[in-house]
Amino acid sequence: MSQIRAKKVAVIEKRLSLMDLIWRVLLLLWCLSIIFPVIWILVQSLRTNADFFQNIWGLPVQIQWRNYYEAWTSYNIGKSMLNTLYYVGVGLALGTFLTALNAYALTRITFKGRKLIWSIIMLSLFLPGINALIPQYILMKTLHLTNSLTGLIVLDSLGENVFFLMLLGGFMSSLPKDLEESGYVDGATLFQVFWRIIVPLSTPGIVTVAIFKFLGLYNNFLGPFIYLSDPAKYTIGVNMYQANMRMSYTADWVTMFAGVMIVMVPSIIIYILFQRRIMEGATLGATKG
Amino acid sequence: MAAEVKKIAVSMRKRAGAGKVKRQKAVFLLIAIVPSFGGYLLFTLYPNILSIYYSLLNWDGLSEPKFVGFSNYIFMVSDQFVWRALYHNLLYMIVVPFAILIISLLLAYLLNNKPYRENGFYKVLYFFTNILSAVVVALLWSFIFDGSFGLLNGILELVGIPAGGYYWLGDTRTALWALVIPMVWGGVGLYAVIFMNAISGIPKSIYEAAIIEGARPMQILIKITIPLIRGVIRVCALFVVLGTIKGFEMIMIMTNGGPEGSTDVIGLYMFNMAFGKEYHNYGYASAIGMVLFVILVAAKLILDKYYPDEGVEY
Repeated sequence: MSQIRAKKVAVIEKRLSLMDLIWRVLLLLWCLSIIFPVIWILVQSLRTNADFFQNIWGLPVQIQWRNYYEAWTSYNIGKSMLNTLYYVGVGLALGTFLTALNAYALTRITFKGRKLIWSIIMLSLFLPGINALIPQYILMKTLHLTNSLTGLIVLDSLGENVFFLMLLGGFMSSLPKDLEESGYVDGATLFQVFWRIIVPLSTPGIVTVAIFKFLGLYNNFLGPFIYLSDPAKYTIGVNMYQANMRMSYTADWVTMFAGVMIVMVPSIIIYILFQRRIMEGATLGATKG
Repeated sequence: MAAEVKKIAVSMRKRAGAGKVKRQKAVFLLIAIVPSFGGYLLFTLYPNILSIYYSLLNWDGLSEPKFVGFSNYIFMVSDQFVWRALYHNLLYMIVVPFAILIISLLLAYLLNNKPYRENGFYKVLYFFTNILSAVVVALLWSFIFDGSFGLLNGILELVGIPAGGYYWLGDTRTALWALVIPMVWGGVGLYAVIFMNAISGIPKSIYEAAIIEGARPMQILIKITIPLIRGVIRVCALFVVLGTIKGFEMIMIMTNGGPEGSTDVIGLYMFNMAFGKEYHNYGYASAIGMVLFVILVAAKLILDKYYPDEGVEY
């Protein structure tokens, strides 16, 4: 009797382990679909075009760091990285500061018209934005903000974002009221209370907002593509797009590969540093939005 | 005691410098509200309202705009390119969310409920594609799909299938479907993480009961896990569907609607009408934008209505 039972269990286990094998292969395949192309591009970016055209599977005979130098200079990645640094850096600092200030005012200070402001902001959840692209462009043109990185920063930093407001507002409204009052007793102004008490205590939320602003700005393609017409002002994304357009004439694959690797580096660094926060924040955004 | 002292101190200070405090508050609110909220009114709300008016114009951006009433909308009905683009949108709207949700549910379930050693690494890796920009994902997959030197043909030939320099994105038969892959590839990670969080909220005891009853893993996933996280799936479905209707960046970079318009979608058609290399028609593009706006809001309302969010109790 017990022998039969043991046999039965063994059969089930065998079946399960076969299924497990299939599942593990499946998981591995998805993993390879991500890692493999990246490694392939990395390896090919270190070969010469002639070698690559001959065999796309080959390993570098002699490592060609030249391709990276070439991408940085002749593809103008150096210049567009500087542009991106300015656009992302200033946009991030200004945008995060304004968002924190705004979230504080909208969640912790009572004033006339606050409810109205909130409900107007909530309207944005119903605005897909795509139909506003043209009037927005004309508006930016009238304000002389087109073809300018600063103009783009203005467009991207001034505005409301329900996700950020919820995230920061949630953080700030959980802080005890006493904190502010003790600040006022000590004679601090409203701005000092915000800067010295609220901001340090909301740092985790602010950092999450900053990370998402970074990803949004660094990955932004459509905005820079619409508004920047001068190649000397291109951000990295637009620059790579234009380089890829030119590639149909130049057929310079390895330099292009090197360029793509360079573009990925900042994303990879940010992801390694803030992986947990990015994943948590993204989940929050989807379940609350 | 201390709290009371504080209160008194606060009220004394309030009385002493009430005017000053009031002014200070007004200045603070001005700085805190006006740039963000004003920017929102100016750069978001105002253009949205203006887009209704723009859709009634005939305007190429250079000459004087001409008011033409509803003729842009009337022309749209007979514009076969609009219908073709909408048809592609419809296909994407069905295929892409379906693929993303199925794959991410399966991955999330496996990563959460199986004790494989490599799972921790996968959890981090799978999300990685979501932080890459559309440009990087699009370029990566353009390299993969290339006919002469692409990775896909290379792999096919390695396993003995002659690809014959087939351009996956250059042929009207495959371009539309080839684009589905990077869209799914770039989106699965996020939803897998969301589903993982939702699944880990389900009490273990429910699974144990099912395992004792002899349920198989697939049965557990379909009969227990999915019904229990229905609410989260619904929100995600809404997100992906709306994203597929209005998204066009990746398509623009990889094929720009070609070959022969076989990958054109409505957002891209509108975008090229407004900002493309050929002639511009701001009025007509705005009219298409308005239709897109209506479709998106309708899709949101329909999905909200027909996929009710029922509270789940464990």
